[in-house]
Amino acid sequence: MTDKSVVAQPLSTQVFQILLSLVDQDLHGYAIIQDVAERTDDEVRLTASTLYAAVKRLLDQGLIDEVRSRSRDDDPRRRYYRLTPSGRKAARDEALRLERLAAMARAKRLLPSPR
Amino acid sequence: MTVRVYRALVWLLLPTGFNDAFADELVAVYTDLDRAARARSGRVGAWRALIGEIPGLVRIGFRERRTHRTVRARRVAPRLEDNVFDSLVQDATFAVRSLRRSLGFTIVAVGTLALGIGANTAIFSVVNSVLLSPLKLHDPDRLLAVGEDSKAATTVSVRSTSPGSFFDWKTSSQTMDLGAYDAGYSRTLTGRGEPQQLVGTQIIGGLMDVLGVRPLLGRTLTVADENPGAPPVFVLSFDAWHRVFGEDRDVVGKAFTINGVSRTIVGVMPAGFTFPAAPNDLWFPGQLDAAFRVNRDQYFLSVVGRLRPGATIERARLEMNGVMDRLTRDWPKFNQGNRIVVQPLRDTIIGGVQSRLFVLMGAVAFVLLITCANIGNLLVARAAARRREISVRRALGAGTGRIARQLITESVLLAVVGGGVGVAIGKGFLKLLLAGQVTTNLPRVEEIALDSRVLLFTLGVSVFVGLLFGCMPAWHLTRDRFSDGLREGTRGSARHQWTRNTLVVVEVALAMILLTGAGLLLRSFALMERVDTGVKPDQVATLSILKRKPDPAFVPALIERLRGIPGVQSVAITSMLPISGRGIGAWFNRIDRPLPDNVQPSGEGYRVITPEYFATVGIPLKAGRMFDANDRREAPAIIVNEALVKKYYPNENPLGKPVYLGAPDNRLFDSAPIVGVVGDTRDAGLGNDPLPTVFIPIAVMRNWPFYSIVIRHSGSSAPIVASARRVVREIDPTMPITNVQTLAEVVSSATAPARWSTTLLGVFAGVALITAILGVFGLLSYTVTQRARELGIRIALGASSQGVQRLVLSRGLLLVGAGLALGLVGALLLTRFMQSLLYGIAPTDPITFIGVGVLLVLAATAASMIPARRATRIDPIVALRTE
Repeated sequence: MTDKSVVAQPLSTQVFQILLSLVDQDLHGYAIIQDVAERTDDEVRLTASTLYAAVKRLLDQGLIDEVRSRSRDDDPRRRYYRLTPSGRKAARDEALRLERLAAMARAKRLLPSPR
Repeated sequence: MTVRVYRALVWLLLPTGFNDAFADELVAVYTDLDRAARARSGRVGAWRALIGEIPGLVRIGFRERRTHRTVRARRVAPRLEDNVFDSLVQDATFAVRSLRRSLGFTIVAVGTLALGIGANTAIFSVVNSVLLSPLKLHDPDRLLAVGEDSKAATTVSVRSTSPGSFFDWKTSSQTMDLGAYDAGYSRTLTGRGEPQQLVGTQIIGGLMDVLGVRPLLGRTLTVADENPGAPPVFVLSFDAWHRVFGEDRDVVGKAFTINGVSRTIVGVMPAGFTFPAAPNDLWFPGQLDAAFRVNRDQYFLSVVGRLRPGATIERARLEMNGVMDRLTRDWPKFNQGNRIVVQPLRDTIIGGVQSRLFVLMGAVAFVLLITCANIGNLLVARAAARRREISVRRALGAGTGRIARQLITESVLLAVVGGGVGVAIGKGFLKLLLAGQVTTNLPRVEEIALDSRVLLFTLGVSVFVGLLFGCMPAWHLTRDRFSDGLREGTRGSARHQWTRNTLVVVEVALAMILLTGAGLLLRSFALMERVDTGVKPDQVATLSILKRKPDPAFVPALIERLRGIPGVQSVAITSMLPISGRGIGAWFNRIDRPLPDNVQPSGEGYRVITPEYFATVGIPLKAGRMFDANDRREAPAIIVNEALVKKYYPNENPLGKPVYLGAPDNRLFDSAPIVGVVGDTRDAGLGNDPLPTVFIPIAVMRNWPFYSIVIRHSGSSAPIVASARRVVREIDPTMPITNVQTLAEVVSSATAPARWSTTLLGVFAGVALITAILGVFGLLSYTVTQRARELGIRIALGASSQGVQRLVLSRGLLLVGAGLALGLVGALLLTRFMQSLLYGIAPTDPITFIGVGVLLVLAATAASMIPARRATRIDPIVALRTE
């Protein structure tokens, strides 16, 4: 299911943000919501249901994986998620896609060039 | 709370597969979010967060199911339904589609259902608030009404008692804390612009503590306030605080002039507290002096008790029996033949209206049942037409249960939509009921509202009726062999016909019962309207005034000035209007034939009047003379009515016999001869016998505090009333004028409760009649269509058009006959519950029963004529060719 045809579609903002959160750390659900909110200055605020709708899909597509048993004193209901290699690739592809789009905008002088 | 709601939503909206994997975690994360939102912006934040979650949940619900189905379809492997909700969604979607396809049917069904459910919602709102909700007092189930009643009485009634008895009960009782009140005081508040007329209740024995309602501001009244030396205080109701003082919190502690006395407001009660009945603007402590505290012949205190912890009503009753035995020994004259009655407070408040409301509730329930039968009938017909569709579905592998569920879902959906519209209709209907003041005579009317319990009731009723009429077609369809459906075309089977006949019979029976109930009420109402009230109410205006200070010159001056108004024929003043109740009473004592010492005289109502009273309201003189200017305090005389003569002087001439009113040591006047006998008036309501009444000249009782003015006039009353107001103002600008109404209005308000239940039941019965007749009509029309071929053959073979007509008609009448028979039995069983609402006729009144039967037969014949006529016009050639 992790073929390019899925990944080549632009990812939704929420999904992209979730993947970004997991790039450098494994996080549980609530932590993902917090991380996204912090990074985007509360611009992207996930609800529990949107988060898990996305998580389910990402799991189905094999873009993220579940990490069992982090530490003993943690809430047993909490599950941690990590990026799979194809997830990392999908996030990168999306970032590259965005960069390509930004480059196009720059070429048309819609955006200033980077120093 | 929010987390629990969220968990419920997750469980409800999301498919099982998703929930197995994620529900716990989802809720855990939500719990964290909830906590954060709560920390940030409190409870509002938490709810906002919850609402924010809903779109996401719905989206998951739909998307997960869709992918699930496509996956399943691809797999082809049969799987069990993953949960009930899934198939429900599917059924509902299908039901919506199928109902939308037959829009006409849907609109008719939803419309009639909405009417039925709406009527039920409105009447249930009334029943719910008046009969079912607990009283708005602290721990109301432990509150009791305590009163005196005659041992000989056949029905229990809680009557008021005297201060002496009350304080005896209060000090003797170990099981109850007792308090007492005397309601309905007119109080005038002056010093704040226009004088304000307020209604007040006198509180005695620390009743506020017994009721246990906390004040909104300040404090309530205590026993200490009742000391004759204590500073005068009062407590305001929320409503009066709002109306008169604009919710000014600073009024607590301030003094205002009430009936000429400066009293301090010590507290404001919360909204909704209007004990003992709305409207009540203020409560003030009764400061009875030592002599009055032991008075045993002034019966004016209503007593309320609260059971102490551990005590029961049975123990309280036993205890009060003991108290009464002792009091009878100590005070035989006052207590002989009496007992103390202890009843739940709620029962005494709602007692009078219970049967009236239950009859109405029963009536609307019947209307709904008839509606159900009718829609059931439509659905059976529709199902017959859908047999081919169902058979195809079944041939493609749908199980019996699945199809039945599909059909029931359809009808429940229909009913719930009908219920939704019904709530709106019910709301409007309730508003109409309240605005039309048909509920004016109900207790607790201020509490009537469409609350969540009513909504729950409506939802329950909707689902129930949906199941009820949904089961009928479902039952049929699932019993058909599907191959028949494919073969046979769209003709109904014999079994369908049987069900439809039964439904119509039931409809007619229910309509018959309802019509009988309405007919009985209508007839007793008509009888009641024909009762001679004893007064001539046309062209008599009345207004009430309150005299604050004794002023012997006031009444003569007032009458003189009023008489001068152009158009006025005569003017009089009375302590109480006729037909508006018994009023104040006192012991009636014959001086020429005193009672033995241990027998208590009975109290009779009296009215204080000016000489022209009888002429003004139209009460005829039957014997003796009217009052005149010579009847003074020094030489009193009284006039009595015929009912009093019948009771006290059955075979004697009452004229000239000396009597006094009151207790031996507390007389209204020492002795007065009866100088006249007048006709009776129905003061206790038109349905009740006239009460014995004594009339006393105003000159004898000059200090009476409040009066009604009655004015017989020519022309219309409006200019007369306006002039009368001006005259009163000119004599005393501070005098409040209340209750301006015509005597005809006074009389008509006496029949108001009977009128509104008759009207409502009449409307419901009318709806029932129309619905049932439509049912008969629909069924016969359908039959004619079904039997077109057979009828065509008959016509072809030479049947006369009368013969064909008779065939159809007889069928209709057979159904109606069966319905009538069934309805007759039902009506005979049910109408006896209406006994207490009837006047002058028995619940089995033959005229009503026969009349209703004839009405139904006529209506059914009329409804059958149309299909019967159509049957005669069947063209045999066409009929034979179409099949």
